[in-house]
Amino acid sequence: MRRKRSGLLSNIIFYVISVALAVMVVIPFYWMIITSLKSKGALMALPIQWIPRHPTLQSYRKVFSLFPFGKAILNSLFVSITFTVITVLSSSMAAFAIAKIRFKGAGVFFRMYLMSMMIPTQITLIPLFIIMSRLNLTNTYTSVISPSIFSAFSIFLLVQNLRSLPDDFMEAARIDGASLWTTFFRVIMPMEKPVLATLVITTFMGAWNDYLWPLVMLSDKNKMTLTLALNTLNGQYGTEYNVLMAGCLISMIPIIVVYIIAQTQMKQGITAGGVKG
Amino acid sequence: MAMKNKERKKIIQAIPFMLPSIAGMVLFSLLPMLIAIALSFTGWSGLGKFSFSMVSKQFIGLENYQRLLSKGEFWTAVGHVLYFVVLYLPLSFFFSMLVALILNSGRKLSGLYRILYYIPVLTSWVAASLIWKWVLSSQYGVFNSILSIFGMQGPDWLTSKYWAMPGIVLASVWKDMGFYGLYIFGGLRTIDTGYYEAAQIDGAGKWVTLTRITIPLLSPTLFYCLIMSLINAFQIFPQVQIMTGGGPNGATQVPVERIYTYAFSYFKMGYAAAFSWLLFLIILALTLIQLKAQKAWVHYET
Amino acid sequence: MKAKRLVSMGLAVVLTAGLAACGSSQNKSTTEQTANENQTETAESVSTEPNDQESEAPVTITYANFNASGGNEETLNKMYEAFHKAYPNITVEIETIAMNDYFTTMQTRIAGGTGPDCLEMNIENFGTYASQGILEDLSGAGTEGMNQTALEAFQYDGTQYGLPENFSTVVLVYNKDLFDKAGIDYPDDNWTRDDVDAAAAKIRALGDDIYGIYQPVTYNEFYKVAAQYGGSLLNSDKSAFTINSEENVAALQSMADRVQKTNVQPTEEQMGGMGDWDLFESGRLGMIPTGTWCFNTFKDACGFNWDICVEPGETQKATHFFANALVVNKAASAEAKAAAQKWITWLASSAEAAQIRLDAGWDLPALDDTGKLSSYLEQTPPEHRQAVFDSLNYIVMPPVINDYQQMSDIITDCVSKAAKGECTAKEALDDAQSKCEAAIKLN
Repeated sequence: MRRKRSGLLSNIIFYVISVALAVMVVIPFYWMIITSLKSKGALMALPIQWIPRHPTLQSYRKVFSLFPFGKAILNSLFVSITFTVITVLSSSMAAFAIAKIRFKGAGVFFRMYLMSMMIPTQITLIPLFIIMSRLNLTNTYTSVISPSIFSAFSIFLLVQNLRSLPDDFMEAARIDGASLWTTFFRVIMPMEKPVLATLVITTFMGAWNDYLWPLVMLSDKNKMTLTLALNTLNGQYGTEYNVLMAGCLISMIPIIVVYIIAQTQMKQGITAGGVKG
Repeated sequence: MAMKNKERKKIIQAIPFMLPSIAGMVLFSLLPMLIAIALSFTGWSGLGKFSFSMVSKQFIGLENYQRLLSKGEFWTAVGHVLYFVVLYLPLSFFFSMLVALILNSGRKLSGLYRILYYIPVLTSWVAASLIWKWVLSSQYGVFNSILSIFGMQGPDWLTSKYWAMPGIVLASVWKDMGFYGLYIFGGLRTIDTGYYEAAQIDGAGKWVTLTRITIPLLSPTLFYCLIMSLINAFQIFPQVQIMTGGGPNGATQVPVERIYTYAFSYFKMGYAAAFSWLLFLIILALTLIQLKAQKAWVHYET
Repeated sequence: MKAKRLVSMGLAVVLTAGLAACGSSQNKSTTEQTANENQTETAESVSTEPNDQESEAPVTITYANFNASGGNEETLNKMYEAFHKAYPNITVEIETIAMNDYFTTMQTRIAGGTGPDCLEMNIENFGTYASQGILEDLSGAGTEGMNQTALEAFQYDGTQYGLPENFSTVVLVYNKDLFDKAGIDYPDDNWTRDDVDAAAAKIRALGDDIYGIYQPVTYNEFYKVAAQYGGSLLNSDKSAFTINSEENVAALQSMADRVQKTNVQPTEEQMGGMGDWDLFESGRLGMIPTGTWCFNTFKDACGFNWDICVEPGETQKATHFFANALVVNKAASAEAKAAAQKWITWLASSAEAAQIRLDAGWDLPALDDTGKLSSYLEQTPPEHRQAVFDSLNYIVMPPVINDYQQMSDIITDCVSKAAKGECTAKEALDDAQSKCEAAIKLN
């Protein structure tokens, strides 16, 4: 009996805390959706309206009337997907070499990679642009995508993860006569699936939401990405929060879709990783 | 001799794996950083076509650094960011841990939570800052409205010099806890259940299990979170730029906000570059301390 | 371990140094290549077009602007089509970027040597760009018909570097219904700030969340109000700051009193993150000095009667004047520069461009001949549109210096402290004076 009651108590505590946290997280998001459905006048109504009295889609109409969305979404998808594939591949290769081959000098590179994160990108914007223009790459997708080949953040993430993975797997693969590449693609990558899923999501999101770099690089309107298009809203509709929130929501939908897809992958990945040893 | 051969073989094996990232680092990171170092010794405005000869003509030695260190502005900005870090790190750690533990409990709804808690991570900083600017509005925002339900009078958040930074901290914790939370959760899931079974057989209590098994095995993950949040927190920018623009009255002027303003508003690129390098040194020093300290608590599998 | 770390740092330095050496030698050849390729590309793309009759070689130029973003891109395209009909050999690739990222983008591209051939410039950045020698001298451009004041605004050291594209003035917009409710006369061109204060107090008395006036206590408003009190930020030859003069202190005092003492103007907290236009549109604000670009928005959004008048002054009237300039990038090729000059001259002064601009209700072309602008005067509201032009008699130019933005930030920071009641007007301006003197070198 005693045992059961303490189970009930801990259940109650668990749900109170987890629901409270979920509410905290969701409220700003809810507020964003609600605001986007309000008319301009209702924004300033006091007391504030938790549910819009006269919901309207006028801010969505406004956003959609401003940009050629179809093309921008395709451009964004192309850039973000390519960006993500390159980052994930290049970073996991580097992380594998640093954490599992453990060659002499791996630590040096690891530290250099870390150091590269400590300088604000705002100050390397012009130098990087100069390099791209000297390479004759301005106004190309190549210039937007190519920095993806080096992501210190991703390498660090994967190195830390690989380090908590026992070396037995490497050893077993070596005894089976597998080459390092086979070990990497067939053994390590599948085991890293959960963290790779996290990486895919954050990289995709970063590429999708980045706007200063594509803006500076791409002067051709036909190459404009979605976030770039939506960011013009911030300057134009400074306090028209309904329009701003509608734009924000539209920009998020593709990422949420990607997340939910990756989420199912992740579940499998985690169970697959769990049966090890 | 045998050892040496083995080392050499390892290096040769590692080269193809390292090549893409090294090439990328050199071209897209080291080279821009080198240009930025060079710029920090010049009085270049940042306006006009860049060339090495033009920049070398404007060489002014250490003047930018001397001016930065002698003016209060640099230290004020560093002070502001330290204030941010001191508020942000513990809160962020606490909530991330909470998220991880909730997800790891394996109870009902955790699949739903995994999506809900991650929504802020999926929001771009531009969107998140705009949302929070609106949420924290003292008159029309939802935050103070909730406080008033509990009979509390909310502060003026972003327009008050005392509350603007805490407001930014709130937004940042909201934005980041899902990322670190889910990552720590991943770390918890990869801990071999065999360890726990063994501990149970040995009759170890919860506390012993936590300190002897969970924390050590989770330590590489926690170390990653610590380093990343430290490096990122020192470079906060979009939330500041959009939510307060450094105001009110400079209360949220942080280093990167200053760097951006000097580089692109005041046309003092050389000064901004020097600012960046001083910031770099501060972050580097703190990271090196962490790298050294990790030996005391971070446990790697070998 | 220590040694290892040192090695890692050392390696970083050596690596970068080595790379820089080979990088720079390589770079030269690639730039040349780029230039050549660009030229051939341009020639090819244009020669396929049907119009080949003129003797001049076809040329494609790029034009960047911010003013068309958010609603007037179509208008600008219409202008270009008309231009292209008249100059079939000149193709203009137009790029419209929102204001908040426009200048960062331009600065970066110009640094990389790939800036647009011609671009739009605001009055705040004009001086800095001109002083850096990156703008082409436009003395040779035909400037007949252009507004003289606007032309002078875009001279630097006596040289014409920019052509005025448009202009706008700031007028006092007022809510007629609130004036009726309070039972007071509408403002007219003879009003002073004291009359405004009296009216604002009566409107404020109408309700707890109804305010008399909103004039942000920032740099932009401050230098104008200072002029209304006979003050200025710089001495006449711009060699010294005069921020804390007696006149300026009186000006700031009157601005701050409206917030702190009489509260006819809402504090920042009372605004709660809302914009000043929103407050006016909601019908809760009696008066707002704001730019003529508000007309279209107010026409749609205001469910009450409103009108305008010339902004009241104090010892004298002083009104804002804003203009954007069209400039040519000095780094462009000779052919591109010639074509760019034709395009911007046409954009600034041709009757066709002016008409399209007015028809779209975009903004006012900076032309002297107000006859061309008669269609503008006929539109209502506001009925008293003449005030837009009457304001031109009292304009005060922004004190353009090289470090304009920095001066503006320092002053905004200090005067807003006074508006919050954190310090007196005198203290705020003394602070601004010493901070500007420390940070900014004047010529």
